[in-house]
Amino acid sequence: MATASGGGGEFVDKFPDEAAIIKASFLIAFVSLGIGAFFGLVQALHRTNVLRVIDSADYYTMLTGHGVLLAIVFTIFFLCGVFHWAVARSLDRPAESALFSWAWVGLMTTGAVLATIAILGGFVPNLGMSADVLFTFYAPLQAHPIFYIGLAMFIVGTWLSGADWFLSYRAWRKDHPDERIPLQTFMVLTTMIMWYISTLGVAVSVVFFLIPWSLGLIESVNPLLTRTLFWYFGHPIVYFWLMPAYLLWYTVLPKLAGGRLFSDPLARVVFLLFLLLSTPVGIHHQYLDPGIAEGFKFIAMTNTMFLLLPSLLTAFTVVASVEHGARQRGGEGYLRWLGALPWRDPAFTGMALAGAMFAAGGFSGMINAGMNINYLIHNTLWVPGHFHLTVGTAVALTMMAGSYWLVPQVTGTKLYSRPIGLLQVIMWFVGMVFMSNAMHRAGLAGIPRRTAEPQYQNFEFLTPIGSIFELRVQIALGGTLLFLSVVLFLFNILLTSLGEESDRPVDSYLPEPLSGPEGSPRILDNLAMWTGIAAVLVVLAYTLPLAGIIQNGGGLFGGGLPVPATVSAGFDLVMTTVTSAFNTLWGVVA
Amino acid sequence: MAVDSTAEGAASSAARTSTDGGVPANADSQGDSGQADPPVDSIVGTADDGIVRELGHDDFDPVGTLVIVLIYMAILIGMWVFMYFVEFLGRGLTVVG
Amino acid sequence: MEIHAYEKLWLALALVLIVGFIGTITYGAAGAGIDMIDDKGGTVDPATLDQHPKFGDPGIERNGENSYDVYVVARQFVFEPGTTEPLRVPAGSTVTFHVTAADVIHGFEVVGTNANTMAIPGQVAEFTVEFGEPGEYGMLCNEYCGSGHHVMEGKIVVMEQEEFDSWYDQQQAQGEAEN
Repeated sequence: MATASGGGGEFVDKFPDEAAIIKASFLIAFVSLGIGAFFGLVQALHRTNVLRVIDSADYYTMLTGHGVLLAIVFTIFFLCGVFHWAVARSLDRPAESALFSWAWVGLMTTGAVLATIAILGGFVPNLGMSADVLFTFYAPLQAHPIFYIGLAMFIVGTWLSGADWFLSYRAWRKDHPDERIPLQTFMVLTTMIMWYISTLGVAVSVVFFLIPWSLGLIESVNPLLTRTLFWYFGHPIVYFWLMPAYLLWYTVLPKLAGGRLFSDPLARVVFLLFLLLSTPVGIHHQYLDPGIAEGFKFIAMTNTMFLLLPSLLTAFTVVASVEHGARQRGGEGYLRWLGALPWRDPAFTGMALAGAMFAAGGFSGMINAGMNINYLIHNTLWVPGHFHLTVGTAVALTMMAGSYWLVPQVTGTKLYSRPIGLLQVIMWFVGMVFMSNAMHRAGLAGIPRRTAEPQYQNFEFLTPIGSIFELRVQIALGGTLLFLSVVLFLFNILLTSLGEESDRPVDSYLPEPLSGPEGSPRILDNLAMWTGIAAVLVVLAYTLPLAGIIQNGGGLFGGGLPVPATVSAGFDLVMTTVTSAFNTLWGVVA
Repeated sequence: MAVDSTAEGAASSAARTSTDGGVPANADSQGDSGQADPPVDSIVGTADDGIVRELGHDDFDPVGTLVIVLIYMAILIGMWVFMYFVEFLGRGLTVVG
Repeated sequence: MEIHAYEKLWLALALVLIVGFIGTITYGAAGAGIDMIDDKGGTVDPATLDQHPKFGDPGIERNGENSYDVYVVARQFVFEPGTTEPLRVPAGSTVTFHVTAADVIHGFEVVGTNANTMAIPGQVAEFTVEFGEPGEYGMLCNEYCGSGHHVMEGKIVVMEQEEFDSWYDQQQAQGEAEN
């Protein structure tokens, strides 16, 4: 249903406070995107030996900045904007307190700035502050304490943002006791529950191990434990990036294609499957870790494979919704209807290309997930090749394409240029085809990821087809196109926001699904029950591996050190906090 | 008319439903403004202006989608078999114990 | 809840695909005999690695007919052995690696092969591979381990049996002389 049809005109007129929050979130997201993409360009040229303006040792400072700014700051600030929009629009009510909304924006921003300062400190040798620990910050590599503190503040900020949306939902529920949860709000709430469950791992790791350790309060950490806690959070974050893209694919892309969502109930089922299965799979990032029994790896593998199901279902539902648009626009034939789609609209084309790339990324993900076949590609360039298709295109390109439709709704100004937008999304696609296919093939040749200078003295990499030189050229060319694409995007959005207000900045009407929620079981909306099942699955998947890691790996703090009394008291505190947080969440949901 | 699940409450739903029969539903719904503005082409999200027929739930079989996803599955299976049995099992030095 | 017939078909095929993947992987483990890195290597105290009976002086040890143990320590930014002198193994032998890290997390990859593991302080990665013809393999660290990560590399030399034996005996004699 159109926000416009509610009587108040565009989103910005109807929800000015929310629009301001969304604009602030987008602004921070786009600034991070610009800086992160610039770092990416320097890295692509450096590691292919095309242009070297930095020392190889500084490469890792840039790589940390690239990962944190793009995979954490850009994606999460953008999705907070999208979720804030989706909740206000689908519940048709403003947030309960604008002040509270500004509080989470402020906390997340402070955290992001602190972490970024710590990272950039690595460029200034005499500063004594650095965080060259990459996006995964595996201990015993150590960053400056403000890196971890910033990270913790950022995550607490995201918890508050989720609380904001749960409060909106609770207020809406009072007025609408018997209605089904509107689909977009349903998607936001299930995603946030998954996020609460999964961020517990990283919160425990950062607050109880890494911050005290970086401050010198405890002497050592158990490296396998902090690594496992990272991946407990590190895989669900993948779905935290992806769910806003899915939200846009399910609820906006059909409209952009001129059609309607094929099935609302299946969309709900898909989001529930992600809630249940996103977390008990993190060990699939640790297939080649010693200290974890093969049985636990096998369980993580089967869970991961079943996690393919919601994505495969999404492929069908979303393509069918797009096909519905093409047929309504006069499309015919088995495949000829593809020509009837609105390919000149950058919002549609960007999302469609992002979806196509995700299909390819899905394949390389299946190889990553395949336990023993993981030996083939573990920690090679194949892996960044994979996630530049998923988070780097399925998510990032959908977010950029979605911006062409969303930004005008919160600024009230028309997109500066549709042709430039179209060029931008196509450039991203082409750049990624070059870069990603070359990275996958380079990975099969054994070239490692996260390496400034993969030119070794003792051996040469061999590739069965083409040459290593050709792969390097493709990576450098692709990286350059991707950076130029980001420049075009930021330029287009900047000029859009400076444009004149328009009566009809964008067509924001969303049609209802072909098959609505009314026929589906009401149990789908029972969030408390699904949260409970998700928690049980996590407990089942993680209790034994964690117990083994703590017992065999020298205890909670590694090195066989006795547990300091103060910290073991702290551990009780975590458990109490965690339990009470869960109870509160439970209360709101139920 | 089905309940609008992607959207807001009943009031606006009713308002919208009244115009829902029309074909280029959304050009009308935007009120008087749209017309005088620069070409619709400069506005994002106007694909529904090009709708030539409304297809309801029962008039639509996603046969094109079925063709696409079946092609995708064939590619997946072919690539999986190649990657697993040729690239992976065909390599020297494999962990056997 | 109504689901379109085509989507039901797709759902069924998707499930078959997933079961097929799990089946392939199970075949790899049970049929082709590919073992995973797991907890069988046990643990070791990284702070006292120098006094460890094996990791204190890492290298190759014969443990049977054609069968050897190799102990490797990964530390910033070398493999011991491997970097300053190559890791030597005889052709046609079965070699069990025991890999650990002395300082931070490292990776151990024999380039262009499936021999690939993480090296984590406190943990020992144990895995067995079979070497064939004489030749050379590169090895590298594939987990970021600090500012010199890109120079962390080494070499494995697969030698003819007799050549290896004379080198090995010489090593043993030297070791005994030092003790």
